[in-house]
Amino acid sequence: MVSIARKNLLEDIPRFLVAQAGIMFAATLVTIQTGILNGFSRSTVLLIENSQADIWVSAAKMEHFEETEPLLMAQVEQATQVKGVKQAEPLILGLGKWQTKMGKLNSVRLVGFAIEGELFQPGNIVKGERTVLKKPYTVMADESRLTELMIKNIGDTAAVTSLPVTLGAIAQNSQSIVAPPFLFSSLENVNTYLNSGFTVELNCTMEEGGENLNCTKVYLKTPEKLATPPIKPLSLTDPITHILIKAEPGQDLTTLKQRLAAALPGTVANTTAEMAAKTSTYWKDRTGLGIILGLGAAVGIIVGMVVVSQILYASVSDHLKEFGTLKAMGASDLMIYGVVIEQSLWMAVMGYLPAMLICLGVSSWAATKGIIILITPGTGVGVFGIVVTMSIASGLLAIQKVTHVDPAIVFKA
Amino acid sequence: MLIQQLSSKPKSNITTAITAHGVGMVFKSDSQKFQALADINLSIPKGDIQLLMGPSGSGKTTLISILAGLMTPTAGNIQLLGEEITSMSRKQLTQFRRHNIGFVFQGFNLFPALTAAENVEVSLNIKGIGGRKGKNEAQMLLAAVGLEDKGKMLPKNLSGGQKQRVAIARALAGDPQLIMADEPTAALDSQSGQAIVEILHQLAKKRGATVLIVTHDPRIVNVADSILYLEDGRLQPPKFTPTG
Repeated sequence: MVSIARKNLLEDIPRFLVAQAGIMFAATLVTIQTGILNGFSRSTVLLIENSQADIWVSAAKMEHFEETEPLLMAQVEQATQVKGVKQAEPLILGLGKWQTKMGKLNSVRLVGFAIEGELFQPGNIVKGERTVLKKPYTVMADESRLTELMIKNIGDTAAVTSLPVTLGAIAQNSQSIVAPPFLFSSLENVNTYLNSGFTVELNCTMEEGGENLNCTKVYLKTPEKLATPPIKPLSLTDPITHILIKAEPGQDLTTLKQRLAAALPGTVANTTAEMAAKTSTYWKDRTGLGIILGLGAAVGIIVGMVVVSQILYASVSDHLKEFGTLKAMGASDLMIYGVVIEQSLWMAVMGYLPAMLICLGVSSWAATKGIIILITPGTGVGVFGIVVTMSIASGLLAIQKVTHVDPAIVFKA
Repeated sequence: MLIQQLSSKPKSNITTAITAHGVGMVFKSDSQKFQALADINLSIPKGDIQLLMGPSGSGKTTLISILAGLMTPTAGNIQLLGEEITSMSRKQLTQFRRHNIGFVFQGFNLFPALTAAENVEVSLNIKGIGGRKGKNEAQMLLAAVGLEDKGKMLPKNLSGGQKQRVAIARALAGDPQLIMADEPTAALDSQSGQAIVEILHQLAKKRGATVLIVTHDPRIVNVADSILYLEDGRLQPPKFTPTG
């Protein structure tokens, strides 16, 4: 079958290229917006998804990964006692102030984890080693945020909450777009940073009946700046943020969650997938960022439809007599519509392919700046579907014009 | 010429190719009415070359459009190859045209993006002849009009006479029994016009096809079997007489 559609498209190369540029722009816009939305969403759950934990235990009022109330270190031990738990590790999150040597301040998110543990993975370590984080006042940051922290290499120093800090390792794919720079270190280091400038008073009273010990920890602001206090191991009363749980092999996670909730009152247990979904949903739905990025993608689709419609409509108008001739010669409506639809599909494919190449290039470039534009095979297929649907919808508009062609037009000179 | 090479479908026994009874056409626009054709009665024998002549605005284009099944008259009825077409649905008319009518246009109406061979092939495709067979037949049809070496050329690189030959080859695709030609020589020089007339003449006579030609060209009169003369939407006694 002779492809009138393809030949018509390629008849006027400059016009074809302009048309393809329009579709390419629309496809790029949709892909990048979707990629940013996916990348944003993914970045907020990177640390959760990278973990080897099956279940995350958090305070009952937990909103998302970074927004929660503290648990106690003692609860890690309690969790270990629960039947079906193979391993339990604490995770500490807290805010701090990064101060460069030149006195510039920057908020940071301190992340303390068990260095010898297995459940928490702070991204891919590209420089230095995980064990170096055990050294006092040594941290690891994501490569994408070094500029923001005004440091470059391992060994560079600054201060966190008036205490010294040395960059001991550099990671990749560990940073949430929406969070301040993460500083990863040992539980002890992070605990020290978070408590620096304070002295702690612990007051405990035994409950009536002698079963439970109620303790209150009071942080008192220290009037004088401390030098570099020795790093102390965590006590059972130190606050932590989450408990990462590894279940025994073959353990039913739903049952284990119920057991953990019962054993640790005031907590909530989520599987890793649930934790990621809660966090991702929070950022997408409750902050409006999802709507904004979604709107961008919608604008891309609308722009694409307008561009494709205009081009197809103009192309059909220019070839109206040819369509009339086809009708006169006895071409069925199906065949004539097929020409327009085929034209739409060619435009979709020819616009989509270069758009994808551009998007992959932009995505790679953005990754070096710490911005995740996540273009998955699913995104690729989805955007292709959108571009094809958009092109066919535009083609249907152009078909309206062909439908009304009077075949007698062929006899009009 | 290689007209003899073209395959011929088994012909029916009917002797009249086109019959019109009391055909009229009124165009309505807002509150105005315009009578383009009135009381047209004609009968064209099978295999004839029939000219339709008349001054501009006399209704020739309207009449050929109606006789080709491209327009429905407001009065009367038409039989083509023994089939009543005025009562046919749009879909039936399309199918009828596909299998029975070939068109030749004053402005050639070739697809500019397609080569000469592809222009012919499209017509074959419409009739359900595709693939290698379609390509071979397109080449054979081009050879029949003397353009065997021009198959890969785009219309813009062909002369007016060559374009019209491609158009004739396209009209021959599928071996239709009726050829409707609208001013086929109007855009051609004398020599090319004569060649086109010659091809049409051979086509009609050697293949038994009926050719209806709308024309102003007196050169065609010599090859015509009969002439219809239209003036103010009505058939009049012809002002030319075939001499061929």
